[in-house]
Amino acid sequence: MGWLMALEQSGLGEAMRGSSFLYPLANVAHILGLVVFAGAVAIMDARLLGAFATLPLPPFVARWRRLAMAAFALQVTSGVMLFSAEATAITGNPVFRLKLLLIAIGLANVALFEFVTRPRVSRWQPGAPPPAAARIFGALSLGVWLATAAAGRLIAYF
Amino acid sequence: MALKRTLMVGAAAVLAAAPVLAHHGWGSYDAATPFTITGPMKHVTYEYPHVHVMVDHEGKTWEITLAPPSRMEARQAIIAVVKPGKVIAAYGYASKQKPAEMRAERITIDGKTYEMR
Repeated sequence: MGWLMALEQSGLGEAMRGSSFLYPLANVAHILGLVVFAGAVAIMDARLLGAFATLPLPPFVARWRRLAMAAFALQVTSGVMLFSAEATAITGNPVFRLKLLLIAIGLANVALFEFVTRPRVSRWQPGAPPPAAARIFGALSLGVWLATAAAGRLIAYF
Repeated sequence: MALKRTLMVGAAAVLAAAPVLAHHGWGSYDAATPFTITGPMKHVTYEYPHVHVMVDHEGKTWEITLAPPSRMEARQAIIAVVKPGKVIAAYGYASKQKPAEMRAERITIDGKTYEMR
């Protein structure tokens, strides 16, 4: 895979390996980004599972999704930085591949929410118990993103 | 209160898992059979995330994984010490996945021993 080698040998890859602070910095950013991302996602999922039931759903999701997207952007940035240091070796790591698959599922799940879940729960009134579509989506989202975080941590062990 | 109990159970689970998680990245190495590789360093990559040195051992060139550069420096195993041509004695474990790769527990160069954990 030529582009992996090119990424590894790029200025970014070299800086990540050679700089005394970039790799630890990206590592710390990736952890802090995870904390914010997982927090924002979990609070939206909790709402779909029936918590904070009196708060109207659309503004609730709109507000927390902005934070989740900002944190996701930080995760992609710091993740590419860490990946560039050893792109060819990491690509062969089975847990890294699993993590990419989980991210793809997580993002597909967001699309599912927009196009399937949201229309189905449009008449869900604040205070009422969550419809099945909301509960299924919330549980799936929480599970997939927590599994993504776990897979990320486990890359170093395989 | 249910929340309090949930938090306590969660904290207990995390504490129970801590000893396992503390051994960062050592799980895929055969810790039951440590051995020592001694020889001149043919090649050194003093880079993140881990420093690597190449040393010939029993007819094969072994890749020895050391600590991250920041930890190496903190323990005075600086780039001027871990230098190609110098003799290294690396005590560690063979990888269970990658042939001819060792994770070093400690290294000795010029009579001085440096811990890698």
